[in-house]
Amino acid sequence: MKTNDSGSGDVRLTGISKTYGAFTAVHPLDLTVPQGSFFALLGASGCGKTTTLRMIAGLEEPSSGTVHLGDQDVTALPPYKRPVNTVFQSYALFPHLDIFENVAFGLRRRGIKSVKKQVEDMLELVQLGEQARKKPHQLSGGQQQRVAVARALINHPKVLLLDEPLGALDLKLRRQMQLELKRIQTEVGITFVHVTHDQEEAMTMADTVAVMNGGRVEQLGSPADLYENPHTTFVANFLGTSNLIEAEVDSRSGDDIVLKAGGGKLVLPEARCSAPTTTGGKVLVGVRPEKITLTHADDAGEIPEGRNRITGKIADSSFIGVSTQYVIDSSVCPDFEVYAQNIDRDARLVPGADVVLHWSPGHTFGLDAAQDIDAGIQEEAAV
Amino acid sequence: MATLTEAPPPLSPTAPATKPPRKRGRLTPYWLLLPGLLWLVVFFALPMIYQASTSVQTGSLEQGYKVTWHLATYWDALTEYWPQFLRSVLYAGAATVLCLVLGYPLAYLIAFRAGRWRNLIMILVIAPFFTSFLIRTLAWKTILADGGPVVGALNTLHVLDVTSWLGWTAGDRVLATPLAVVCGLTYNFLPFMVLPLYTSLERIDGRLHEAAGDLYAKPSTTFRRVTFPLSMPGVVSGTLLTFIPAAGDYVNAELLGSTDTRMIGNVIQTQFLRVLDYPTAAALSFILMAAILLMVTFYIRRSGTEDLV
Repeated sequence: MKTNDSGSGDVRLTGISKTYGAFTAVHPLDLTVPQGSFFALLGASGCGKTTTLRMIAGLEEPSSGTVHLGDQDVTALPPYKRPVNTVFQSYALFPHLDIFENVAFGLRRRGIKSVKKQVEDMLELVQLGEQARKKPHQLSGGQQQRVAVARALINHPKVLLLDEPLGALDLKLRRQMQLELKRIQTEVGITFVHVTHDQEEAMTMADTVAVMNGGRVEQLGSPADLYENPHTTFVANFLGTSNLIEAEVDSRSGDDIVLKAGGGKLVLPEARCSAPTTTGGKVLVGVRPEKITLTHADDAGEIPEGRNRITGKIADSSFIGVSTQYVIDSSVCPDFEVYAQNIDRDARLVPGADVVLHWSPGHTFGLDAAQDIDAGIQEEAAV
Repeated sequence: MATLTEAPPPLSPTAPATKPPRKRGRLTPYWLLLPGLLWLVVFFALPMIYQASTSVQTGSLEQGYKVTWHLATYWDALTEYWPQFLRSVLYAGAATVLCLVLGYPLAYLIAFRAGRWRNLIMILVIAPFFTSFLIRTLAWKTILADGGPVVGALNTLHVLDVTSWLGWTAGDRVLATPLAVVCGLTYNFLPFMVLPLYTSLERIDGRLHEAAGDLYAKPSTTFRRVTFPLSMPGVVSGTLLTFIPAAGDYVNAELLGSTDTRMIGNVIQTQFLRVLDYPTAAALSFILMAAILLMVTFYIRRSGTEDLV
């Protein structure tokens, strides 16, 4: 399967924005989605991700800016003239047509006469060959979802747009469909732009993730890059969990910055700090919960030199099977989260125990302290 | 922080053995059916049986009527009044088509384009029901009056020449012609077309229009391939709600028509109230009912809307 590419097939959004009266859904935005990539727009509801997608599809007219598909400026084209197809949130399958005709719809509209072979091949790809003559309402949610994908993909669009396509499925089916979609994308090599509010979904499927918040792109990068090097507190909190500590810049030693937090000192590699660091200035120091090791206060002497450490008291612990999640009450951060692999469990690590938290300075990241330290937490919890 | 906090599936307690429902509970549906059933028996079944028996009676008003199983009444009624039957079907059919042509764009507008005007337009559609059917039909007598502005305008535009040639009007008159009767029927039954059409159009998910556009369908193709097929339940119920009462109507033909535009409803009314030939009137009623039932059954079968929910 190949896309009819004229030059490069990148999707380029230039200064694109959308306002509804006084409300700005999307602030002027520049974004390039490379051809053949699996691109995710991630954010909480109302962050402008769906509006952005709909502007690419032509279902929403941008208030400013342009949309390019490859070399072609499609900003003024109506949806039916754009080489782009959408998988809608609720699938929007035509209830009066059977599965075969739903999938054949786009081909027939473009005047293609012999659709049988193509439709059958496409139904085979999504493993629905048997269901061709059923009506949409006779299929399960997961099957309907695959029909929606097949109906869009059969047209070999330059870009396939997916608007929260897995939102209506239960957790298990969602996991399964994530892998399925990823498989299909690899197989057909079409650019996928996927809108989701599920950070795990975005990280599992996409090559590149754009995290959106309040109509702006907060950060763009590979899932691992976003997770390890968040540039804003929103990204740090929205993707997974971060422990953020307010600290003051004390001094520098080589490529590292030494910070004061509470009574102790923390070391942060300068390369991993996205904020300006002047001596005496404030910085937010972050570390992911799984990077931290817990040691009982009695064994503090065994901790190797050169690690960042913080002392605290275990406030709560919950056993999750593969790991144990601890909440530590520390003077620098009231709810310090630590995920410990259940390899050698120390029986003394129970609520009330005094502990030392320590981690490699290389796992520390620094953020601008002027931001809201809790940005992105509410949104994730509400999902 | 939902990363690792998936809830385990809730332990379902073994379902307690369901108790057999008590006897009184099982009878409840029938008690609820009773008022409706009684109503149907008293006001539908009994009159129907009475009419059926009337239609096979012979006799005269002076000597009284007796059931003689004289089925020839049916044949006689049919052979004598088939032109009126045919005319009823034609006029009602024409009015139904006109209602559909006028009502569909209106219903479409209300459902998709009216925005905040939607409720106002809906009220305007229903507003005629606030006055009596008779008064509204009489008003059309004034509207279409000889020498009135409507007739004058149609005359100036030479529309009447065409309609006269087609046999819909006579000379420079509109009143007392088929056109007047069909206009009256169309006007009176238009809301019965618009309301079901609106209901079924309004139920169509707007995203289906977007999906069709996304799949290379021009707006006109979207209408032909998606919107119209999905509005078929409305089209079917609208045409039935218009055609059935229009075929049996006699008021429009009585007030706006002439002796040449008599419909079967007028014949039945005359037979019952003026000629007092009850058996013929009853037989005509049954023939009309059977004919409509047949046509409707055929129509519903053909339109295939059973699985369009």
